Amino acid sequence: MSAMNAGPAPSALSNTSTAQANDSELRYVSYGSERESPYLPAIRQLISKDLSEPYSIYVYRYFLYQWGDLCFMALDKNNHLIGVIVCKLEPHRGGPMRGYIAMLATSQEHRGKGIASKLVRMAVEKMIEKDADEIALETEIDNIPSLRIYENLGFIRTKRLHRYYLNGNTAYRLILYLKPGIPSQPTYPPDFPPLDGDMNMSSPPIYSPMNEDLIQRQTAQLNIEDVYDERQRLC
Amino acid sequence: MPQGDPGHDATNELGSSHGMDNHNANAQIAAQRLAEEAKEASSYGARGISDVTKAFTSAAQKLQPGQLVKDDYFTLFEAVGALEIMDPKMDSGYVPPGDTFEATFDVCKGLPAAEILWIMDELFRLEIAWFGGYPLSQTVFTSLHLDRLLSPDNKPPYTLNYGENPTGDIATEENLVHIVLRSYCIALAKCLQYVLGFVQSQNFYEEEDFVTHLFGRELLPKLGFNDADALLNDASTWLQSAALPSEYREALQSRLQFRKSLLTALNGSAEQWISCISAIEAVNKSHGHGIFQPEAFSDKVQRQLATSTPPRPVLKLSWDDACKQWTEMCQDIIEANRLTSAPIVQSASCLQRATWAFAYREPAPNTFTRAHMQSLLFGQDIISNTVSHFELFLTDIKEIVLTGHPLVDAESFQIELPSDPRHQCSRIIESFMDKAFDEYLNLYRMVCQNRCRIRRTFTQAIPILDELETLALGVDTELDNITPLQVLEIYGQPIRLNPLSNWTKFHKLQIVTWTVQLGFETDIYLPHELYTMYWLLLWYTSRQRQLLLCIEPFVLDRMKTLTKRRQTQQVVECLAAQDWLKSQGVSTETTHLISKALWRLYSMLMATHLIKTPKRQYAQESLLWDARMKSFFGLTNDPVPSLEDFVNAQHLESVQQSCRDIDEALKDARTNLSELRKMTPQQVRCVGTEEQWKREIKQMETTCVAIAVQTSQVLRVCAKNGDKGASGDEDLSALMEVSIPAPGSRYHDWWVVPLVKEKK
Repeated sequence: MSAMNAGPAPSALSNTSTAQANDSELRYVSYGSERESPYLPAIRQLISKDLSEPYSIYVYRYFLYQWGDLCFMALDKNNHLIGVIVCKLEPHRGGPMRGYIAMLATSQEHRGKGIASKLVRMAVEKMIEKDADEIALETEIDNIPSLRIYENLGFIRTKRLHRYYLNGNTAYRLILYLKPGIPSQPTYPPDFPPLDGDMNMSSPPIYSPMNEDLIQRQTAQLNIEDVYDERQRLC
Repeated sequence: MPQGDPGHDATNELGSSHGMDNHNANAQIAAQRLAEEAKEASSYGARGISDVTKAFTSAAQKLQPGQLVKDDYFTLFEAVGALEIMDPKMDSGYVPPGDTFEATFDVCKGLPAAEILWIMDELFRLEIAWFGGYPLSQTVFTSLHLDRLLSPDNKPPYTLNYGENPTGDIATEENLVHIVLRSYCIALAKCLQYVLGFVQSQNFYEEEDFVTHLFGRELLPKLGFNDADALLNDASTWLQSAALPSEYREALQSRLQFRKSLLTALNGSAEQWISCISAIEAVNKSHGHGIFQPEAFSDKVQRQLATSTPPRPVLKLSWDDACKQWTEMCQDIIEANRLTSAPIVQSASCLQRATWAFAYREPAPNTFTRAHMQSLLFGQDIISNTVSHFELFLTDIKEIVLTGHPLVDAESFQIELPSDPRHQCSRIIESFMDKAFDEYLNLYRMVCQNRCRIRRTFTQAIPILDELETLALGVDTELDNITPLQVLEIYGQPIRLNPLSNWTKFHKLQIVTWTVQLGFETDIYLPHELYTMYWLLLWYTSRQRQLLLCIEPFVLDRMKTLTKRRQTQQVVECLAAQDWLKSQGVSTETTHLISKALWRLYSMLMATHLIKTPKRQYAQESLLWDARMKSFFGLTNDPVPSLEDFVNAQHLESVQQSCRDIDEALKDARTNLSELRKMTPQQVRCVGTEEQWKREIKQMETTCVAIAVQTSQVLRVCAKNGDKGASGDEDLSALMEVSIPAPGSRYHDWWVVPLVKEKK
């Protein structure tokens, strides 16, 4: 299992949240444009509690500062954070406007209630509103509940990524096209830093490292598909 | 912190590659950027030192808490590279209160033989984990003995106490450390160096496949193979007369022997890989004599390694798994050597099969063995000291499209008279081969990548091969202008021999169909997509069939001419080519028929609601098609069918009729398979991979049987429930349920046979 799915440690957050909260008591709100929201520590805690190698505050700020409107939170009646989704939206290699779901987590006690699914739908709709061409993400190949959420919404698996995560686990890349003509949109490697993209086997160099994939793999470390126990509802 | 300095090596640990080209490119760009920034900065005025504290403080006060300060080029990758100092989970240099910075174990102190044995076995275990893709910092570098030897302070002759050999009367236990364990560790470091050299000389994926990072350490650069080998010999000699119980003496000898065999094998003695396997067995037998000495390993070593990686625990791998993985690795190397031996490389088709046979060994060969296979194929211009890459390429063209034709006659390439058409044609063919050369060798190299990558590199090769085909069409016309190419009437149409474009199309279509099939293996198609993908396979196997029909008649025609001219050698070659083309035809037809059976079966299961399409709130049919077919959109010569083509090809039949059609296709497929079974390895060009070929046929036969079992199951349940299924689209989900076997639990991973069960 990946670091992020491995035995979630009981966090301060889950101890204080009301485990019996039902759906009607939940509120879904956007993180918005606040630079340093009071929810940031809770978001970080919820996401990192299942990570063996957590990310610095900088990573969270990277997303929340630039795409705070694409971050949605589920809060219980006491305003405790129950679930969160973190995304970005920017042109992919100078081509299509790509939405990217980077992190998704719900607290242990509230899984199986469709919270993650609701957060994904809110993020997708916001991305559509913001004129996204496509949405991409990665998730572990054995995270069935997570795959179900996305595949039920219309995402398809486009690649299998060998040993994608630092812990050696393999992932699928999932994609959802929102507009026609995406495959024919040209993409360009950015001027800086150099992104070689996938191995260009037509060129003679022996080493063909793939920055692009490495970046995506690193990014994938963030992708907290922490939605086990959604099974009862989704299957 | 790698922020704002993407060319800096410190970013590497978290993601960027250590491939030299990339590294250089990064460094170059970083240098350029720095130079530009420096230039810009210097234009502001005279250089000098000034205190910026005030300006910095006032600027910082203008920032909101949490505000991100970055330039436009700052990527997520760089953000991820940031670490928080003093966070125990992120900062590998963090020392918890009450802990010591360094491990306290004294590597110079003598140890009993049983502990030496355990330490060697621990290194053996950690080393194979490194082969498996884990970093050195988490594996062998955690050995405190090795750490001391590799310490930047250490100098030749690299002793455990920094250059001083213990003098005076040394007890056996100390000699065990300073002679036996030290020689083992030094030889191990040399082995690591060889392996790194091998892997880095070939195509591999940093971090995904393998971690080459040395964390700022060097692998005893001043010592060579001979030094390490001599140290092992000295240790072995000392052991012979050491005052030790015989079982320990032998156990330690077997470990030195293993290390010596491995070192020698890595130094290029291919036959030593067999000795390695027997040495591993010997090591395994005496593993039980070891006594636990965990103090000799510590993840505290990571505190002093040059890295921005968070601290990670020493890797755990069971002893049995370690022995198994070592043995498999040696076997893979031996097999790679066999699969590239002289008899196999004579035929390009045989070598292609051999490359696949290697890639599909179970369990999948590791990165080092795949690099070894690549180096056997591409390490030199000549494979197995027999066939040059040029010859291999020309043989491939000849075998597929031009057997017996003067265009590929080796003599034609020797003619120097510029007015001779053979000279002219040879130059044209050579020039084409030059352009296609990398892509041709990639047909082998792609298969030597990890299995997920095989498919992905194929999808990148598809548009390149398609462009090459367009280019080849022009080249064929050039050749025709010099020496008119044969024209034959095929199915009532005059068709010209188009050797090079047909050759390119042959490989291109093969890659296209393999790409579709690898999608089944990598499980990227959802159950409701399977009928689409088998239909797509059906579409492209039709193209393959058509192509073979445009190649075969020319060989037959040429053979007739050659027979008249009594050119016996060429006639024999043409006969062999015909056999092979026939086997290709039968094999393609079989794939076509099984695809047809599965397409129809999945269509039927969809129509009867036994497989359901999820709600897919945000999906649109045409966009799903775009996303799924993206890999094939680069095809201009054999364009991917449209969604409309697909929809038009579907037709609703009764369940009974569908089952009859499926069974019919399966019957034909099985006839083909038995025909293939009767062909010789020479005919199908599977010399050296006969076993794999037989297994493949067997798996396809079993697949056919399994599909037939499903149709009879469906028919039985329908009949039992009052002849259901006549309309073809009634909901049968109350009667039956379908499950899709995962890769690894199928008769053949490329053929997904659904499992239909009656609901009780």
